[in-house]
Amino acid sequence: MLAETVADELRRVVGRESVIDSANDLRIFERDASIEGAAPDAVVLASTTEQVAAVMKVAARHRIPIVPRGAGTGLSGGAVTIRGGIALQVTRMRRILELDPIAQTATVEPGVVNQELSLVAAQHGLFYAPDPSSQKACTIGGNAAENSGGPHCLYYGVTTNHVLGMEVVLADGSVHWVSGDAPDRAGLDLCGVLVGSEGTLCAITKIKVKLLPIPPSVATMLAAFPTIEAASHAVSAVIGHGIVPSALEMMDGVTVGAVEAHYHAGYPTDAGAVLLVEVDGIAESTRELMVAIGKILSDNHGYAMREAQTPAERDLLWAGRKGAIGALGRIKPNYYLHDGVVPRSRLPEVLAAVGEIGEHYKLPVANVFHAGDGNLHPNILFDMRDREVMHQVESAGEEMLRAVVEMGGALSGEHGIGLEKNAFMPWIYSEDDLDAMHRVKDVLDPDGILNPGKIFPDPSRKSVHLAGRTGLAIEARWW
Amino acid sequence: MVTAPAVETPSTAEELAHTLNLAAEERLVVVPVGGGRARGMGDVLGTCDVEIHTTKLDRVVEHSQADMVVSVEAGITLEALQAELAKSGQFLPLDPFNSPGHSIGGLLATGWTGPLRLRYGSPRDFLIGIRVALPDGKLATAGGRVVKNVTGYDMMKLHYGALGSLGVIVAASFKVFPAPLHDVTVASDGGWNAAVHALSTPVPPAALELFSSGHVLARYSGSRDAVDRVAGDLGWKRVETDVWDEHSRRGPETWARISVPREALRRIVHGLPSDAEWWASPGTGIAHWAVTSDARSVLGVRAKAESAGGTLVMLAAPDDFMREVGAWGTPPATLDVMRRLKHAFDPEGALNPGRFVV
Repeated sequence: MLAETVADELRRVVGRESVIDSANDLRIFERDASIEGAAPDAVVLASTTEQVAAVMKVAARHRIPIVPRGAGTGLSGGAVTIRGGIALQVTRMRRILELDPIAQTATVEPGVVNQELSLVAAQHGLFYAPDPSSQKACTIGGNAAENSGGPHCLYYGVTTNHVLGMEVVLADGSVHWVSGDAPDRAGLDLCGVLVGSEGTLCAITKIKVKLLPIPPSVATMLAAFPTIEAASHAVSAVIGHGIVPSALEMMDGVTVGAVEAHYHAGYPTDAGAVLLVEVDGIAESTRELMVAIGKILSDNHGYAMREAQTPAERDLLWAGRKGAIGALGRIKPNYYLHDGVVPRSRLPEVLAAVGEIGEHYKLPVANVFHAGDGNLHPNILFDMRDREVMHQVESAGEEMLRAVVEMGGALSGEHGIGLEKNAFMPWIYSEDDLDAMHRVKDVLDPDGILNPGKIFPDPSRKSVHLAGRTGLAIEARWW
Repeated sequence: MVTAPAVETPSTAEELAHTLNLAAEERLVVVPVGGGRARGMGDVLGTCDVEIHTTKLDRVVEHSQADMVVSVEAGITLEALQAELAKSGQFLPLDPFNSPGHSIGGLLATGWTGPLRLRYGSPRDFLIGIRVALPDGKLATAGGRVVKNVTGYDMMKLHYGALGSLGVIVAASFKVFPAPLHDVTVASDGGWNAAVHALSTPVPPAALELFSSGHVLARYSGSRDAVDRVAGDLGWKRVETDVWDEHSRRGPETWARISVPREALRRIVHGLPSDAEWWASPGTGIAHWAVTSDARSVLGVRAKAESAGGTLVMLAAPDDFMREVGAWGTPPATLDVMRRLKHAFDPEGALNPGRFVV
């Protein structure tokens, strides 16, 4: 509970209607799309930068935790108010402030939905490249805070490669514009550090992004493989031939079954895994690349290969991929999703380990992921109403991440560390590494009010309950 | 510099960190040196007590061909790294001016790029891991050896382009790229209009450079059919690809980098003295100017670049000229935040004091 005086201060800043603090209403804001939740003490619905700055000053004055929040689609607990305090909801800030078709840039408020921006840009023959599977709902502000990815990041890069500049509010309530339009700046790259800082360093109030011309030709192919391993080898083979497709996605047999039952997209249900490959460019180039890719896939045990013949068919193939996690609800109502990344060549090994861990805990696991990047998404499927199973689910997830790290990988490719993986940070980074990161935190948020309890290990809350699978040394110390 | 500085050439990262720490504790002024190709960058140092050269840190730590990832020590030259990658048909898409001889650490610290930035972006986009020696003697790693990674803060961005003001980069990992299937360069003497035309081809060029003479070089790479069609449609003269090597050797004694939103570049370049020698990447918004005019004219161009939202940074100049013009221009509005970051990493101000923006 906030002190009544604090709540009054917040109401004075944003208006009575824009502060939510009744216990019932607050429960709506206790979660994002990850597992753990905690209700805020108040939700503030800000509409302007000035309001965000003023709310930040109230939080600073009273040293109350404050957590910026977009659509709440995050998968690592980034928007969860684990220490209570203020949830700073920015979804009312949803204007596209400027779209410059000549410069191919857009300046947007943080609450603009990812897909909306691409739809508006399409009127000028442009698109916004980062495309998380949640793009129908997730916000550009959330994307920038988490440095989100998506299937097409294989070729186009993740959010940070597309953000030119941001207006941010720091923990003291000061408003700054970081970076900007020019390709080089004089001084430190604050913008680059703030993108992906998961709400722990600033609140984002405007984002200037690059837009790209919509490619004139796109070709999309679906190919089946007898096993995940065969599909993994095919992925390495495509890239090894010097071809970087715009997307290269894998779904295992479990996922394909659920997706096909739901979307009837013509996915081959007898397959151990399928690959969805897309290339874009001019027609000559996509044709040539697709022929080359088709040959590599069939040389690597690919079968039932099918190229989308119409845009509608392509959309259906993608609907299956982007809606895959929803379709998994046919198997179990809940999922626990990690997004560790491994060097691409370790995919067969790490997927075998993921499979073994699932079997060990008797939990179904569905893999649907960005294979070209080596970015896993094992979905552990369960029913939350079965209280016994939760501990098993958590242990299985933790073991999977451990396997990722043991193979020289990283804890998260695009979902963020948040609340979910902060305990595992010491698997990857030494005390000195984390200390260097913490210096940035201490400079920008000396009182620790911004999204506390995230990214950095928080021994008071959650400890690692695994010592690691025996006999395997961590390879992550890479120098 | 008043007296000749001591030169240290540590052969391990740990040794380098130790040397840096000793110097910082004794309140000495430390200048990190890589290949020495960008030594003229930044404001004139009042003094320099110790130069720490990364020359001996020149190993390829690991190149995983299948993963298209390479990890190197910071002192390796760009050419040595490219030679290693070329064995597997891969390359790092970085072609800075004043080549050859740049060290990887130096390129990261200075943020220098070349024509290929048009297609591939800068190392800011493909640097995936970094290790830095800090003045307190610690070695801090961030990122990793995977191509997509949000594990912790993006410290690569903090050190990239920071001119060694927060720490000395000792190692780095990159996402590398397959050598293009087909690589064609064509030339024209059609000036800006030709450049603009070539930038709007259905397959955009990988690099496009315009020279003050009106000469234009355009490089197209990708699948054979697409490249041949697009380059053919332009109807320009084919030239050998090694024109790019020649181009990258440009490094005048006094020169400036103009970096502005790309749609403003034409106007800014038109404001240069009429006899100025320059070359530009109209697709990215960057131009390099071999300065032969006086300081006032540089300041005039800088004012225009800054009012367009960009910068004019001196890459090298005689000391007196550099003092008069200043290396960086108007400090950013966030200077105070940057200074606090500098203080958190280098409280004694040992690293390049007064040379960088902070």
